[in-house]
Amino acid sequence: MIHVPAPDAFAVFGVDRTLDLDAQQLELRYLKLSRECHPDHNRAQSTVDCVAVLQRSAEINDAWKVLSDPWQRARALLEAESQGVLERNKKLDPMFLMDALELAEEVAHADSDSDKQDVLTKKLNAAIDADYQAMRADVAKADFDTAAKRVHQSNYHLKALHDLEAKS
Amino acid sequence: MSDAPPPETRIVIGIDLGTTNSLAAVRAGKEPRVLRDQGADPLTPSIVTFHPDGRVLVGLAAKALRLEYPDRTVFSVKRLIGRSATETKNDVADLPYAVVAGERDLPRIKIGDRELSPEAISAMVLKEIKETAEQALGHPVREVVVTVPAWFDDAQRQATKDAAELAGLDCLRILNEPTAAALAYGLGGKNDGTVLVYDLGGGTFDVSILRIHEGVFRVLATAGDTHLGGDDFDQLLAQRILSLLPSKQGTEDAYVLQSVRSAAEGLKMRLSDQAQATLELDLGDRGQVELTVTRAEFEASIAPLVQRTLDCVKSAAKDAGLELKSIDDIVLVGGSTRIPLVRERLAAATGKPPHTDVDPDLAVALGAAIQADILAGNDRSLLLLDVIPLSLGIETLGGTVQKLIMRNSTIPTSVSEEFSTGVDDQTSVDLAIYQGERELAKDCRLLGEFKLRGIPPLPAGLPRILVTFLVDADGVLRVTAREQRTGVEASIQIVPSYGLTREEVRRMMLDSIENAQADYLAREAIEARAKAEAMVRGTKQALQISELPPDQTFAVHKAVKALQKLLDADAEAPALKSASDDLTKVTTTIADDVISAAVTKSLKADQQP
Repeated sequence: MIHVPAPDAFAVFGVDRTLDLDAQQLELRYLKLSRECHPDHNRAQSTVDCVAVLQRSAEINDAWKVLSDPWQRARALLEAESQGVLERNKKLDPMFLMDALELAEEVAHADSDSDKQDVLTKKLNAAIDADYQAMRADVAKADFDTAAKRVHQSNYHLKALHDLEAKS
Repeated sequence: MSDAPPPETRIVIGIDLGTTNSLAAVRAGKEPRVLRDQGADPLTPSIVTFHPDGRVLVGLAAKALRLEYPDRTVFSVKRLIGRSATETKNDVADLPYAVVAGERDLPRIKIGDRELSPEAISAMVLKEIKETAEQALGHPVREVVVTVPAWFDDAQRQATKDAAELAGLDCLRILNEPTAAALAYGLGGKNDGTVLVYDLGGGTFDVSILRIHEGVFRVLATAGDTHLGGDDFDQLLAQRILSLLPSKQGTEDAYVLQSVRSAAEGLKMRLSDQAQATLELDLGDRGQVELTVTRAEFEASIAPLVQRTLDCVKSAAKDAGLELKSIDDIVLVGGSTRIPLVRERLAAATGKPPHTDVDPDLAVALGAAIQADILAGNDRSLLLLDVIPLSLGIETLGGTVQKLIMRNSTIPTSVSEEFSTGVDDQTSVDLAIYQGERELAKDCRLLGEFKLRGIPPLPAGLPRILVTFLVDADGVLRVTAREQRTGVEASIQIVPSYGLTREEVRRMMLDSIENAQADYLAREAIEARAKAEAMVRGTKQALQISELPPDQTFAVHKAVKALQKLLDADAEAPALKSASDDLTKVTTTIADDVISAAVTKSLKADQQP
């Protein structure tokens, strides 16, 4: 089974291909597109091809999901700029992996002690922020390969944070 | 297009098909309104009684018979619909009517020697609602929106659609109950913001968090339990009552089960207003129970169930990416939200008292009517964006499930995957689709198997079959497939693991049409016979008391004899009718009106219940 990439979310929304989309503007755009394309408003006209309407509406919903999440938006942008870039840059720096492993260990042992959990949560959030800022700088320099590596790195931090939240 | 006449206003109604009660509403104009019989209670009990005399009663009439015919009175069928007999084993254990496992492990309701699907029972309730709505509206109804718990999975939604089809309805949309309630609450725009809908009904619990903005109602997250509701609270009280009965016979005896169930429900309701309530139940030779329950005791027993609803509330808030305290308003739906403990716990968790402007019994139907109006094309200012409650995935090697569509994705949503073949000249591929959050296929629910057919014979790995999984606005999955190299559309055969196949729905519809005809004829025959018998009786009496000229007496005697002969021979309705008409003619032409007066009197007496 091979995943077929969804259409370019930026193109579906008709917005600039940039990481810095205004959240409010984006939401208004989503609501406008939904009003135009949702099957609920287009079923009264019998001429409209039902499946095409559904497909278009699904595309908009799926693109919204991508664009409204900073990391998914970044992945979509990188893929649109340089097809296959995420797949090509999966190999990460061994030093980073060592650090990531250590963090995972810390999370695994952060039982019940809520103070320790708070410290760790802050640490992970800071790491995720740092990943994002670095990735943003790479994109600004059009260094999509390095940016793709940052995206993969952030996954380790996001996963650790998720695991930590699941514990409390 | 400007010279085209304005399209006629389409009327689509909304139906809240509940576990305990059902009702319909319509929106013609600004505000939706409930459709009911004049002056009657808007709620129709979702109950069907199969009377031994062959009549099928629905609603209040059925509810009135539940103690008389406990094993022929079917209720809470929403707990069975779209599920397997094995899955529903615990649900049916306490039911006074019998549920057996049928073909493909589907639950079948057994009444005498008749077996019915849950879909067929729901269809009877829907038909009743439809008729009530038609009477209130004064015109026929065909297009409807039917609500389901947000937490219903694909199979349960599909089964509900099938029930509507069996009832002769065209179900334009399956709508989530909490979303419907939010529409009723947010109509008019005065409540823009984020809202949490807490819907605790008779059998199911849902929580949905929505953002309302200028007429767009967007569900951010939903969570719930299709197995938690007022019935469970009743059950806790019922067990306590049963334990006080002298023998163990209670759980075997349909009459006792039904009496205890009704008593428990009444006790629960009283405990919402009173600090304690006393029950005196006299079951004749089956025993007597006297029990006083305090609200504190009741609350202690239901507290774990209430806690389960709050866990769902927290999980929905997390999925929506919101803090509970940041939610602007709380809306209560479902009769069980009248329980003070539920309100207290929810207020404590969210930090605000619930909004009480919306009637918890009517909100869902009113909201369904609004969505129905939108779908009819009458209101483009409103839009509903709902989500899929459970993730959809496909079974991969090793029995794990690869998620294709994540829960709380806004619908419609779609995803495409490419598949190939494993051996040369393979022309079909089987895909097993699961719904649920767990990793292993055995822990999720198998929705069905999709068999892709008509793949062109090519060496292994060469075909590229693009399969698109699309969840439509009803939350129901549609799968399409195409071989990329040849452009051949692969055909898909769906084998649902729960509920009815397309073929079964078609067959049941044909049966119901035939039955409707048979029912009509049977009723006609009974009526014609009753009328003829009354006429014979009345005429004979009249002949005894009146003094008619001999020729007239003879004519009347002849007509009565002819009719009596037909009655004795069990003649069919048309013959009885024509002989009755003959007798009427003879008696009315007689100068003396004694006979016809006596006949009329006899007929009237016969019609008194």
